[in-house]
Amino acid sequence: MKLGISATEYLSLVRSGEISVEEFVAKTIDRIQAVENKVHAYITIDSENALNKAKLIDKKIRAKEKTGMLLGMPVSIKDNICTARLRTTCASGLLENFVAPYDATVVSRLKQQDSIIIGKANLDEFAMGSTTEFSHFGPSKNPWNPEYVPGGSSGGSGVSVSSLECMVSLGSDTGGSVRSPASFCSVVGLKPTYGLVSRYGLVSYANSIEQVGPIARKVEDIALVMNVIAGHDPHDDTTVKKTNEDYVAGIDTGIKGKKIGLVQQMTGDGVDKEILAATNKAVSKLQDLGAECMPVSLGAVEHSVAAYYTIASAEASSNLARYDNLRYGFDFGTEGYEFKAYVSKVRSNFGPEVTRRMLLGAFVLSAGYYGKYYLKAQKVRTMMKSQIDEAFKKVDLLVAPTMPILPFKLGEKIDDPLKLYLLDINTITANLTGIPAISIPIEISSAGLPIGIQLFANSFQEKSLLQAAYSLQQTVNLPEVPL
Amino acid sequence: MVDRKEIEHLGDLVKVDLQDPEKYILQVDQILNYFERLDKVEHDSDKTLRKEISYDDLREDKYEKFQSDGKPLIDYLKKDQNNFVRAPQMI
Amino acid sequence: MTKIGLEIHCQLTKLESKLFCSCKADYRSLPPNSNICPICVGLPGSLPTLNKKAVEKASMISIALGCKIPEKISFFRKNYFYPDLPKNFQITQYNAYGPTSIGSDGIVQIEGKEIRIRRIQLEEDPGRLVYEGSSQKTQITLVDYNRAGTPLVEIVTEPDFENPRQVRIFLNVLADLVENLGVSDPYLEGAMRVDGNISVEKGNRVEIKNVGSFRDVEKALHFEMTRQQSLVDRGIEVAAETRHWDDARKITVSSRSKEEEQDYRYLPEADIPIVGIAQDRIENLKKQMPESIVAKKERYVKKYGIPQQVADVLSSGKFYSDLFEKSHTESNAKEVANIITTDLMGFADTREKKTDLKLTHRNISDLADAIVNGTMTRNSGKIALQEMIKTGRSLSEIMSSLDLGNMNDASSLEKIIDEVFVEEEKAVSEAKQNPDTINYIVGKVMRKTKGKADPGTTLEIIRKKLSL
Repeated sequence: MKLGISATEYLSLVRSGEISVEEFVAKTIDRIQAVENKVHAYITIDSENALNKAKLIDKKIRAKEKTGMLLGMPVSIKDNICTARLRTTCASGLLENFVAPYDATVVSRLKQQDSIIIGKANLDEFAMGSTTEFSHFGPSKNPWNPEYVPGGSSGGSGVSVSSLECMVSLGSDTGGSVRSPASFCSVVGLKPTYGLVSRYGLVSYANSIEQVGPIARKVEDIALVMNVIAGHDPHDDTTVKKTNEDYVAGIDTGIKGKKIGLVQQMTGDGVDKEILAATNKAVSKLQDLGAECMPVSLGAVEHSVAAYYTIASAEASSNLARYDNLRYGFDFGTEGYEFKAYVSKVRSNFGPEVTRRMLLGAFVLSAGYYGKYYLKAQKVRTMMKSQIDEAFKKVDLLVAPTMPILPFKLGEKIDDPLKLYLLDINTITANLTGIPAISIPIEISSAGLPIGIQLFANSFQEKSLLQAAYSLQQTVNLPEVPL
Repeated sequence: MVDRKEIEHLGDLVKVDLQDPEKYILQVDQILNYFERLDKVEHDSDKTLRKEISYDDLREDKYEKFQSDGKPLIDYLKKDQNNFVRAPQMI
Repeated sequence: MTKIGLEIHCQLTKLESKLFCSCKADYRSLPPNSNICPICVGLPGSLPTLNKKAVEKASMISIALGCKIPEKISFFRKNYFYPDLPKNFQITQYNAYGPTSIGSDGIVQIEGKEIRIRRIQLEEDPGRLVYEGSSQKTQITLVDYNRAGTPLVEIVTEPDFENPRQVRIFLNVLADLVENLGVSDPYLEGAMRVDGNISVEKGNRVEIKNVGSFRDVEKALHFEMTRQQSLVDRGIEVAAETRHWDDARKITVSSRSKEEEQDYRYLPEADIPIVGIAQDRIENLKKQMPESIVAKKERYVKKYGIPQQVADVLSSGKFYSDLFEKSHTESNAKEVANIITTDLMGFADTREKKTDLKLTHRNISDLADAIVNGTMTRNSGKIALQEMIKTGRSLSEIMSSLDLGNMNDASSLEKIIDEVFVEEEKAVSEAKQNPDTINYIVGKVMRKTKGKADPGTTLEIIRKKLSL
């Protein structure tokens, strides 16, 4: 039995009785035990429960009882998404032992379909970072070369899927946090339209722009997960009320006659030569598949990093204010402390990146600066959105490299925050404008490092986005992860 | 632009004892300098990207007791024997 | 000239659930932290969902205070750290970037004076702090989050009051108004809380906080006005500051915290979408709103001929006007109004007494009928009312058991008067010279008849007997 199969293949093998859920889960746990010390994808692993749940589902299958559509598929959940009875740390010292008394909506939807939560995946503290190096529990490592970063902030999710330590994973994407590790780890990652997937139970970092998004090895697996997690949630007023779509049906429709725009501002000088070459190759493949490709200009992209970090820091400084250690958190008595002194002391346990963003956020929201930074950043968003709207009048999809550079070595950029921020240039447009974007692997570089490409569609056009990604995926044949 | 006093003021606003303020001065200043480019942005639009919801779609005013695994929420929180949450001294 | 402005926090106590979650809005007398959920204690991952009814009730207050309601309302976060604030920010409304709060620019008339309402906003109440330990050193702070998230409406006036008396009148009118609207019970402890700001001529503005009951506001403002005036008179500058009301000493004390320097870093609350409020919804709401106190008063005067003053008292208190509406008929309305305002209000003047009333609508109606058609005197009516309040028994039962029927039988009345003439020989002889003494004799007769005698008839008979 192979672990590196797609979710679709898994479901048919289980359904036909060729493999049992328990077998597959046990083998996945073996795999985790074998590779975790090399890649560190997980913060918490829930083997025992996973096996028990697998046995229960097998029993149901054997008894021909009704089962959920995911049939015990093992998934990992980024550790900033709440799971009842399994701690949710956000990779922070402040929440080291925090157990949420509830499941996030996306988690309960997965569980309802008999998916098995096998563990909680590593991330940059509170999802702030693009390398997973800012984790209280230590960095995750790129399975393609453990000396390299796996991307982030959903690094653990990308690594766990790439290393065959689970079938699919749920990450969160605030500025590219699903797509960056997908690209760096050679897997598929989708940032859905803002408002399509519930954020209830996703620990907020920049709540006006982030979404939960799936990471998988195959585009069709992403579609499958979206069928389960997408849709209106009464607990999240930012989710839209619309009829659920079937993302799996017709995924092989093809892209004949579709118009695809190559974003100029995302394919400039700053982009690695090898990545540019791979992108161009992918574009010609899209043309071979019958799409019509053309250059598209999005001028606002040049302001996007500044706008994104202004908004994200501002929201972070407010969202993270609640961690004062009074109601939950780590053991540290209040005796002998005055309130402000106590809170400032416990909060000095935030890591450097979180602290930096809170300081920035406080600055840009301060009286007298709000208009100069925050309001202008919002203007960039509307400007960007009107440019996107214009673009989608001419084309159906946009395409660009996911990341401007190849995976780099651990520690290489950790002390240069601005340099790290600039790496988000190609991903944050989707977050600032709310549109969906998917990253799929297209090549392995000469140094053996993954290269991903990104497709964007207009809001709520996930179905056509997945169809295009699927078409491109069918033209790509990549080696297995060398782990 | 950002000096030690400013960083410490920001640290006070977000309630973090900064162990190494000097390190943050440089980085925050560099990043804020980068943000300066926003000031040049001119775009006339009152449009907002925020979702609009109609009054009718708001939550109905209905009481529902919260429980998780049959336990009230306070059982999951730090508390004293009388179910109060303890806070430090207020001056 | 003295200028006073107010910030009034009024809880929407008539709601079932909190502003952003489904916990009980009525947090009172519950064990500590028993009315909480992940949302109102701000657990990681939780999101607020806005209570529809809270928007409706706040809109009603806005309409009643003559405010404009915008087409779209939105929410902001006010960021500051405090242990009663579980997220360390408060979800509230903010108009600095355009009017998006539930109401703005209203006007209320108080004795011919216009008080402008700057804005009305919907926000969440924080939790409650309990301090334990006597000395500063041993003090501990305990937090009960049961109240956290209770729907609150903040009403901010322009500094249009000229003296504390106007403030008191305004607050009474406002309390009656929210009660009449059925959005709040302002007399519940903590349901209506008032902060003020006051400046005298040539002086800076001073904020006054922590006034426990809204009845103390007048006192606090009065103290502050006198204090500021005496400073100005002596040529000392009035410091622009925040002062707290010390309830024990009945004075204001400068507060050490520099609240005016707080930087709240307001930020749009992205978890709550902008809420569109269609104009026809407002129009509908206006139609559904209970009759205003002013309209009610006018109706009482015009339709039933109830005197202005009585109508005024009757219409302002919802409890009494509701009672009136349910118990009166076309013919006895005036008497029902009379019974409620002159007798009942004296008996049931507290909240507890009001809830303990056994009295039925039928009771009051029957009583008024009996008085109107002369089967009972006002005096006996008072006694019967007391009995009804205690027992709720029917009028006929009370009349026979307490023997309260009107004594309109002249011969038996004459008999009693004769008895009194014998008992009060001295008074009777005096009465021939001094007419004042007649009232004394009438009183004796009334007592003997337990108030059943009609005072007019009694007087007439006495005069006849004395050949006056």
